[in-house]
Amino acid sequence: MLFEIALNGLLLGGLYTLMGTGFSLQWGISGIINLSYGGMMVLGAYISYQFFTLLSVQPIISAIPAAIIMFLLGMAVYRFLLRPTIKKGSFFVTLIMTFAVELVLENFMLLIWASDYRIISSPYSNLAVELFETHLPFVKALIFAVSFVAVYLVHLFMSKTKPGKAIQASALNPDGARFIGINVERMYMINFAIGCAIAAVAGSLASNTNAFSVVLAGGLLGKVFVIAVLGGLGNIWGAALGGITLGLVEALGALTVGPEYNEALGLVVMVIVLVLRPRGLIGRRFWDV
Amino acid sequence: MILSKNENKWTYLGIGIVLLVLVLMPWIISGYWVRLLTSVFMFAVLAKAIDLMIGYTGYVPFGNVVFFGLGAYTTGILMSRGWLFIPGMLISILMSVFVCIVFGLPVLRLRGHYFAVATIGLNGAIMAIALNATGLTGGAMGIIFPPLAMNPAALNRLFYFIMMGLMILAAVINIIIVRSRFGFAIRSIKSNEEAARSLGINTTFYKTSSWIISAVITSVAGSVYGWWMSYISTVDVFNIMISVTSILMVLLGGAGTILGPIIGAFIFQLLSEVIWSQFLTFHLGILGVITMLVILFVPRGLVVGFTDWIGGRLKRGKKEAV
Repeated sequence: MLFEIALNGLLLGGLYTLMGTGFSLQWGISGIINLSYGGMMVLGAYISYQFFTLLSVQPIISAIPAAIIMFLLGMAVYRFLLRPTIKKGSFFVTLIMTFAVELVLENFMLLIWASDYRIISSPYSNLAVELFETHLPFVKALIFAVSFVAVYLVHLFMSKTKPGKAIQASALNPDGARFIGINVERMYMINFAIGCAIAAVAGSLASNTNAFSVVLAGGLLGKVFVIAVLGGLGNIWGAALGGITLGLVEALGALTVGPEYNEALGLVVMVIVLVLRPRGLIGRRFWDV
Repeated sequence: MILSKNENKWTYLGIGIVLLVLVLMPWIISGYWVRLLTSVFMFAVLAKAIDLMIGYTGYVPFGNVVFFGLGAYTTGILMSRGWLFIPGMLISILMSVFVCIVFGLPVLRLRGHYFAVATIGLNGAIMAIALNATGLTGGAMGIIFPPLAMNPAALNRLFYFIMMGLMILAAVINIIIVRSRFGFAIRSIKSNEEAARSLGINTTFYKTSSWIISAVITSVAGSVYGWWMSYISTVDVFNIMISVTSILMVLLGGAGTILGPIIGAFIFQLLSEVIWSQFLTFHLGILGVITMLVILFVPRGLVVGFTDWIGGRLKRGKKEAV
């Protein structure tokens, strides 16, 4: 029984890790708390839904075009809305700006897809795997695996490629990065857009197992807040720790106090961690590794 | 220097006339507009309360709506068990102060982003508790207040004047704070907290007190709102949109000014109503676009922008005269 809960929590944690990674990169590196992250995830899910209904492409595959679309959207949002705001005002003005983006996104989605719940039923949604006498849905394992691969790719990009290293340098020391010829503003923009692309991938994957609708955007945002803050910002390993912790807390919480307290439980854990360790559980940035 | 930099007797005269017109309003306009103006006053109160933290103390309590919800819910629970409004409201103030102290002392150590996020977390957690503690709060069904035995027009007028009184009270509290030692202390925290502490200012005491004042004003507005609506639910009174809207009003009018948040509340709420009645399906999107435009083009708020503009014209006029 306990093993089953732990396994479920762990599998959920994989998706949570991916969700948290994008948000955490945007916050920790570009310095933007993206309140439109939940809306972006739902938009990613809708793009996959559209691919599925029109071309019957599986969400696992349509996550790629969704990511590309959201990457471009993220670039545009950063270039035309966020960059001028950052130059002018304090952080909370930027916060309000991302909220305005969320309002426009939600309105757009409501107009096109209405607020009904949608679900994508895959041919493999009824398959199951037997593991140590536990019944394990194949989809959940698949989502976990794809999330893991996606997070690993982000890690490879950040640590091995030239733009990735430039992004790290911009976050570590903006003036120094400028001095050696890195276009810091551009790196922040690319990083923000990568975060948006990750949101789209996470949304597409989640649409495999969960019915979704615009009204879920707020709840999703709450979850990514908890994940990012739990582990520490701008740090992929932090997001992984936060994601898996939240997955386990929710799985255990559903058993002990009931699933309706899931959201409150996560937020309470977040506030406690914030107060005790404001830099998160890992407490170091990814470039300190 | 109470209201703005370039004030004179005309400013007071103008405010006096506006107040007189507002007092006479309920007998001139229809019930719909009386209710709309009441909601404008309510948002002006919320904006003034949150501006005390944003504009003067320099902290952004994104989840300040939690005190609105606490006020409405505590009053509602007590009134539906036979209490009168005033004692119910007093208990709900105590409740908000309690939450503010217990939560504020640890959380106000956090700065910037982290403080804002922690208050969002607090709001979410208390909202979830209110939603699930069905025995006490009625859960998703919400709370029904005992109805007042009055005819609708008189009822509208009653709440119109209560909310207007609250708005004036909030402005007066703000003026008193700005002119006192307390005001200097919280503004010194905003400009440089370390320097303030090194000069011997008890920053923890002052910022917690400032948040308590903000919470109490918000909580009273919540109590009155519940009584006015006579029905509340969690998605209604713990809605983060309420905080966001009041922050927008502060931004629109100008943070850290006496009249700014009030003017912001009037413009935003009336504009929002017009958009809502004309373009129902585009309501959210248009609000979002307006927000973007305000941030991009009037980042310091209308009041500051306007006084700068007037100041610029005066200076130019003097130069030309010389």
